[in-house]
Amino acid sequence: MKILIVDDSRFTQLTTAKLLKNQIGDVEIFFANDGEEGFKKYKEFNPDYVFVDLLMPNVSGQQLIKLIKEYDKDSNIFVISADVQKNVREEIESYGVIQFINKPFTDEKVKLVTKIIKGDTYA
Amino acid sequence: MHEKDLTYDILKEIFNIGVGKAANMLSEIVGKKIILDIPNITILESKEDDEEIYKHFSALPQGALMVSSMKFGEKITGEANLLFPANKMRIFINLCIGQPEYMNEEDLNFTDMDFDIIREVGNIILNSIIGEIGNTLDISLKYTLPEVRLFNKSKFEIGLKDKEEFCILLLYISFIIDDVKIEGAVIINLTIDSLNELMKMTKDIEDDLYG
Repeated sequence: MKILIVDDSRFTQLTTAKLLKNQIGDVEIFFANDGEEGFKKYKEFNPDYVFVDLLMPNVSGQQLIKLIKEYDKDSNIFVISADVQKNVREEIESYGVIQFINKPFTDEKVKLVTKIIKGDTYA
Repeated sequence: MHEKDLTYDILKEIFNIGVGKAANMLSEIVGKKIILDIPNITILESKEDDEEIYKHFSALPQGALMVSSMKFGEKITGEANLLFPANKMRIFINLCIGQPEYMNEEDLNFTDMDFDIIREVGNIILNSIIGEIGNTLDISLKYTLPEVRLFNKSKFEIGLKDKEEFCILLLYISFIIDDVKIEGAVIINLTIDSLNELMKMTKDIEDDLYG
């Protein structure tokens, strides 16, 4: 399984990757530091799942989600954001992301994500 | 506005919820219980005399301060700053990376990764506090990328007071994490118009209660 993590915080990239590896095991992880690099890497590696932060330099997470969805309407996107605003969540969810998750990404949240991913895989 | 006013009480409650959520998020990051003091809010305006302003700022932590900042807009425009003593942030960073003894708290030579951690933690806390305002008032706020800087306390105060016109919402917060007490503050600079808008919206909530 290939996963792309797009976040401008190296700390969050590493924490998210560690949690996903611990839960999923056999996974290849790619990183991007902003939406622009994220879209480039999406096209290059064609990941099974993408984890996207919203507030990022150059191309924001919101713009990245739109770009990826235009490029691949079947893309599987999780949003991991510090933004707790209901309006923002509703808007992002309307783009067809799998789940909007508030930071910090924790053991409990990664278990939920893994359940969704495994449900997808074995469905 | 007097502290006995219901409008003040509503404003305080909005921030309390935000700070409470932020504490919960901090607890999730470091995997430790956090005991939080409920903050009081002070509203300072540039029209107040220097002595009054100085009195409020004198309670800020001494020495080097680690300041995380984010600007926000559109309906309400301002900048939110989270201030903590730099040496306490070293303890906090150690907890974030799961190595409590990693660096001595007196070591203030912060690496890029340290700043990255504080920027991300500041991002989460400020989003929680400011986002709660957005949720309660049913408005969407846009944020700029968070920044982190090290300041000497006096320089930070001078920087704030140099502005010709300002409105500041000042919240002192303190919490205990892993037996260490960390005292800091959230300083929200608002434009005069935004403070008026915020007060108007809070007053609307109050009126609704009696509606």
